[in-house]
Amino acid sequence: MPAALQNPVTLWLLLTAALAGLVYAFMREELRVRGIAYGSFLLACAVAVWPPYELMGVPGRVKLGLDLRGGIHLVLQVVVEDARNATVDDAVTTARDQATRKGIQFGSVQRATSTSFTVDGTEPARVKDMRDLLRDYFRGGWEVRESGEGRFTVEMSDLYQRQLKDQTVQEAIRTLERRVNALGVAEPLIAAQGARGDQILVQLPGVTDVEQAKRVIKMTAQLSLRLVETQAASREALLSGTGGRVPDNMELLSGPGDTPGEPVYYLVRREALITGRDLKSARVGVDENNRPQINFTLNATATDKFSRETARNINRQLAIVLDGTVYSAPVIQSKLGADNRITGRFTTQEADELSKILKGGALPASLRYLQELTVGASLGRDSIRDGVRASIASMAFISIFMLFYYRLSGLNAIIALAANLLIVLAAMAYSDATLTLPGIAGIILTVGVGVDTNVLVFERIREELRNGKTVRAAVQNGFDRVWITILDTHATAIIAAAFLFQFGTGPIKGFAVTLVIGLVANVFASYFVSKFLFEWVLGKRHVESLSI
Amino acid sequence: MEIIKNPNIDFLGKAKYFVLLSAAVIAAGVFWIASGHMRFGVEFSGGTQLVLQFQGAPEVDRIRDAVTRVSPGAVIQTYGDAGENKVLVRISQEASEADLDAPARAVRQTLADAYSQNPVTESSSEIVGPTVGADLRRKAVWLTVLGLLAQLVYITWRFKGGIWGIAATLAALHDVLVCLAFLAFFGFEVTLNVIAALLTLVGYSVNDTIVIFDRARENLQHRRKDSMTKLLNDSLNQTLTRTIISNGTTFLAVLGLFLFGGEVLRGFGFTMVVGIIVGTYSTLFIAVPLVNWWYSRQEKDAKPARAA
Repeated sequence: MPAALQNPVTLWLLLTAALAGLVYAFMREELRVRGIAYGSFLLACAVAVWPPYELMGVPGRVKLGLDLRGGIHLVLQVVVEDARNATVDDAVTTARDQATRKGIQFGSVQRATSTSFTVDGTEPARVKDMRDLLRDYFRGGWEVRESGEGRFTVEMSDLYQRQLKDQTVQEAIRTLERRVNALGVAEPLIAAQGARGDQILVQLPGVTDVEQAKRVIKMTAQLSLRLVETQAASREALLSGTGGRVPDNMELLSGPGDTPGEPVYYLVRREALITGRDLKSARVGVDENNRPQINFTLNATATDKFSRETARNINRQLAIVLDGTVYSAPVIQSKLGADNRITGRFTTQEADELSKILKGGALPASLRYLQELTVGASLGRDSIRDGVRASIASMAFISIFMLFYYRLSGLNAIIALAANLLIVLAAMAYSDATLTLPGIAGIILTVGVGVDTNVLVFERIREELRNGKTVRAAVQNGFDRVWITILDTHATAIIAAAFLFQFGTGPIKGFAVTLVIGLVANVFASYFVSKFLFEWVLGKRHVESLSI
Repeated sequence: MEIIKNPNIDFLGKAKYFVLLSAAVIAAGVFWIASGHMRFGVEFSGGTQLVLQFQGAPEVDRIRDAVTRVSPGAVIQTYGDAGENKVLVRISQEASEADLDAPARAVRQTLADAYSQNPVTESSSEIVGPTVGADLRRKAVWLTVLGLLAQLVYITWRFKGGIWGIAATLAALHDVLVCLAFLAFFGFEVTLNVIAALLTLVGYSVNDTIVIFDRARENLQHRRKDSMTKLLNDSLNQTLTRTIISNGTTFLAVLGLFLFGGEVLRGFGFTMVVGIIVGTYSTLFIAVPLVNWWYSRQEKDAKPARAA
């Protein structure tokens, strides 16, 4: 196979030219025109599909689904509530800061639900100011309601909630794409799915380390560096200094301490000095004791802020928080710059994974697994073998029967079947559709429908011959009369197959793909090619009888 | 060579017996399914299914001992051909969406501990949380119903008469119900592949019906004097050879799938094998008799009117 023919552009031109020729041929009656057009179309298909599977180092043109080559198929749900909570938390901080700045006294500003927050106990003299402030800051996407006595409820509008959901899912998809690329997976598929719009489908064909892939995908990886107020060995000890409750601007977190089995509790500021968004890069390194650590570099803006804040807070503890766990809380010795590190008790693999994840960025919300499908590579190969065996058995059954029952005309049917198969495979290679095990079943079924078309035509020709028509007239009438039937039968079958598409991206879609392509190809192969073959054999000679 | 020379069988005369037979099968199926005998695959019921390939020949009893320790009620059976050393483990406990693969991990761990002399070399898993399972069940029913409706509309449009569409659709619905009954009788699981087979059958059954309707439509154009019953019965006979051969060959094709398609396609193959037989039957004994019944009633109604 010359290299030029492997070029997708050449192939595309070739197939398009062949298709154009085909359209032209449908409008012409001359045998020679049809012969050349049909022949070159089938030849173009053969070129497009060669080699169909991996052959002598050249990758196969028909893409195999992960049920045939092994891999992972995950359906994840984005916990959109996380993103809503975070948005409302931000809004609470804004409202609190602005009110304080304007000198308005208030009782509390708190998140009420995942979509709203309340302002309570505004001083009576400044209710109007508070109202103006809230209306001003929460104009777009929020609704401010007032229920008297200085009490306000601010709620996200439905539109904003929907936008936030879409944004969150899109951002999650982009993050997952970066992480999966870091894993080095070829041809991954990451896409939104489901009617509610909060599900993501992840397909990683050919992945063998399922556990690693799942860890890397699922980790939210929200990194933040925050100042520590106090630390203690238990929750109670920590809260004894603040009257038993966590102050509004603080958060209680825990993390593994220096001795295993004895967690340490921290009261840390809600506000982060640095978050995962401020990272420029992250990679694995080793510390003084040769233990793995993660080195990260901040971008320029974050470096300025970080230097300023660390200079102001020397001798205080800085907590490194990842997904709500304090990994370590070193004391700030001096002003810090762009390059920093995270230490902890990592294995090299953990540190490597973590640095890749941090580089890919945080997910905007946590993920839940809804469905998981993994297929081992050799089990996939067994499935191919079964599928191919079944196809060969089916085609052998049919071919022998057709030859036996329709004699030479049966040969015509077999050629039509082969052409049909060739077109299906070429169309799949051309459109990058994946072949799944149910897809192979779809091809076998297509063969069944193809035979039906042939049988319809052949039986009709026999009937016409019985009625005393000449061979040429019988063939002509046979094809003419059957055309409407074939149109109707194929249309209804395609309607049924179209509904199978709605099952999403799984193996069933592969089945629907091959079935629809097969049905369309069959109209060409079993009707037009078959008709051409009959007319070509009959030629201009006078023919007394037909082998049918 | 011909199978039947000039067939002239009175299909429509015997139709009522077959309608009764179908009703009986469907009633039995509904009863059998309603009494809880329908088995659903993990994709619909939710849960965990593992296919484990062992290094050597697996001893199912010892595997069962180990697995039931962490997962009581798990179903363990050999899978595929004997030489492939494969075992299927079906865990009945629901997979929680908080930690979806916990039951699967527990099974793998216990096998690594208690059955280490014959390690698992490769595995496949299918874990479905309750949300996806429920979604799919709903989707499967809706898609089948919508698929049938779309075909009803198409046929009604093409044949310019509601009864043709209704008859073909009822016949297809009949096929779906009979197939479900057979799946339940023979203890096959309803999986996504089986649903695909059912939807395909809807297409195939209607396809088969249309061939005969088409012939009737053609006959209707130049034989207006004959009664509808005679005309329909002739159409059935004229297309009988085609019916036998086409459905026979498709039957052979899916039989190959059922016999050689491996474990994954077994349910699919079975549904298609049953479906093609039932689809052919329903064309002859459900769809065409329905159309006949409709038109004979009209002719009966019309006659007294003309006499008066």
